[in-house]
Amino acid sequence: MSAANTSAVSAVDGSLLAVARDLGKSYPKVFRPRDRLRALGKLLVGIDNIDSVPVLSGVNLEVVRGESLGLIGENGAGKSTLLKLLTGVLTPTKGSVEVRGRVGALLELGAGFHPEYTGRDNISMSAALYGLGADELREKLPEIIAFADIGRYIDEPVKHYSSGMVVRLGFAIVAALRPDLLITDEVLAVGDESFQKKCVRWMEDYLADGGTLILVSHSMYHIQKLCRHALWLRQGEVAAAGDVFDVTQAYLAYHERKLAGTPDRGAIAAQGIEFHLVGFDVNGVDQETPVFLNQGDTLRLRARVRSRDGRVPTVAFGITRADGTAVYGVSSEMDGVAPYLDSADTFVGEIVFDDLALLPGAYTIKAHPMDTEGVRLFDTLERGIVVRGSTREFGLVRLHHRWGEASERLLRQNMAASASSDSP
Amino acid sequence: MAVSELADGRNVEHGSSWNAPKARGRRGALTAMLALTAHFIRRELRNRYLGSISGGLWALLQPLIQLAIYSFVWTYVFKMRLPGDEGSSPAAIVPFLALGVWPWNAFSEAVMRSATSIQDNAGLIGKVAFPRGVLVFAASSASFLLHAFGFVVVIIVIELLGIPVRLAMLPLALAVFAMLFMLALGFGYLFAAVQVFVRDLSQVLGQVLPLMMFTAPVLYAREFLPERFRSLLDWNPFTFYPEYLRAELLGIGTVGIGAQLMALALAIVMCAVGYAVFRRLNPRFEDFL
Repeated sequence: MSAANTSAVSAVDGSLLAVARDLGKSYPKVFRPRDRLRALGKLLVGIDNIDSVPVLSGVNLEVVRGESLGLIGENGAGKSTLLKLLTGVLTPTKGSVEVRGRVGALLELGAGFHPEYTGRDNISMSAALYGLGADELREKLPEIIAFADIGRYIDEPVKHYSSGMVVRLGFAIVAALRPDLLITDEVLAVGDESFQKKCVRWMEDYLADGGTLILVSHSMYHIQKLCRHALWLRQGEVAAAGDVFDVTQAYLAYHERKLAGTPDRGAIAAQGIEFHLVGFDVNGVDQETPVFLNQGDTLRLRARVRSRDGRVPTVAFGITRADGTAVYGVSSEMDGVAPYLDSADTFVGEIVFDDLALLPGAYTIKAHPMDTEGVRLFDTLERGIVVRGSTREFGLVRLHHRWGEASERLLRQNMAASASSDSP
Repeated sequence: MAVSELADGRNVEHGSSWNAPKARGRRGALTAMLALTAHFIRRELRNRYLGSISGGLWALLQPLIQLAIYSFVWTYVFKMRLPGDEGSSPAAIVPFLALGVWPWNAFSEAVMRSATSIQDNAGLIGKVAFPRGVLVFAASSASFLLHAFGFVVVIIVIELLGIPVRLAMLPLALAVFAMLFMLALGFGYLFAAVQVFVRDLSQVLGQVLPLMMFTAPVLYAREFLPERFRSLLDWNPFTFYPEYLRAELLGIGTVGIGAQLMALALAIVMCAVGYAVFRRLNPRFEDFL
């Protein structure tokens, strides 16, 4: 997913392969046979507003030729639905999707294979399903059989195949199709070592030849290895999209926070505790999705606390690594300052970290309201941030440092030596 | 415009895809469609004989056995005689029956199989994008191919047995089968689409089709009915087919030009209406399967 900024360029050079605009899909709510009958009646007379549950909404996507896009998200986030919309298996309920080229999808083991038929028969059936004519099939059959490399099994019914052989056959067919857009997932992991290598080699060649890939995976390793961009779907909506490292880190950070378990906001507000958080923004953004910033940027945290009795709260902020390791924590009480009154009962505590010392990585920022004395802690809100950078330093933060004089002299000598050897 | 240029430039060497029909032009898309249809028809035919030892031989044996059974029952058990020809040999009833039973078998089987063709292939539809109408077309085609073949075999056997049939009219009979195919296909498209939403349809069809058979002159002649019921047969869309075939191949009765045109119009309209309904419901199949 090359986000909106590249879209203008790609639209001009005509290399846009797949475009989705405000794409949405809803499944009809059908519990009783009567619902089905009513839906049928409505569709027949041309009414399209069937009572339905949205599973995907507002997805904008642009895939440029030669791009590799990773699709991540939890189970039920709408990944499969999005893929089915892209392959044309599903028809969108809202918005539009267009793919300008041949799509090869390798998503399920032996999708479209008939277990009673031989591998050879299934090859010709799949080829026909993908829209290949009889001549083309004749031309490609030897290539497919050679690639699948399953020996005499090619003439045995597919029901006798091992899952690895099914994948080999499926992959061989898709490979022979030379799709403009290949959509796949970890299904390839079923094959044995040598076949996996063959597949990866084929995919690398495919990508090198300008092929376009959409990979669905729960393995961030695979996504980062094969994709340049990533799209994170959450509850049917795009949670983040862009550079693969940014998105995968944000996704992992989200999972860390989710595992840590944050209590329900509504319940806290209803409890009527002395102090509770009503807002927490990071660099002006108050949302669950992580905020991206570069090493050395300014980090501005702002927590809004509602005080039940109008007493002035203490506001504490903490930074932890995504894995929970504490990095730094400080409160207004420690520094001898107080949050300011924003409205009748709401106080605002704001803290600014200039020249942020955090090293690149994903971090969790926490805000807590405490009582005036800074003793009791009442509430917690968390936000994710991702610090980007390309430093080779280790650890969590850059500590102020300088090298001793001897080392500096040595460095200067080395530089001088290399300069003189370059130009004798 | 940009799209077609792009597609033309990139895809021609790779051939077609349902997503990029523009890539290879109308003819290429047609070739691909034909290849797919042929595959589904072959699969339909093979599925029926899959695992049977004699395989395709059944296609030949089945109509002959069926003919033998009908001949025996109608000649010796029911002792039915042709209308206005009570003195003829008992075997004369055999071609009369054959011209009713084979078109009916083709029609009813095509409608039944087409009606469930989308539901039966739900797995495929949910995984691969392809023109789904092909499934219905293949189900109807397979039934008609089988029974038209059986029909030709039976007619030839009847001729060989010495019962006179106008063999020269056989091509016309096949043209009538093609017309019947259109009618069946129309019902097939309609029912296949509705079956996705209303699962009871195939059960209902199982009851309604025999009713349709017995209210058409498949196993009897119009003249066997009391006078006041005879014109009611014209309301059954199938009535035309056995009557016309008998008139042309056996010289039994006549069918007016009006009835012929009416039947042709009905076949065309049914085909168009069925396909229109199918097309309208098609985008939502996945949601209800």
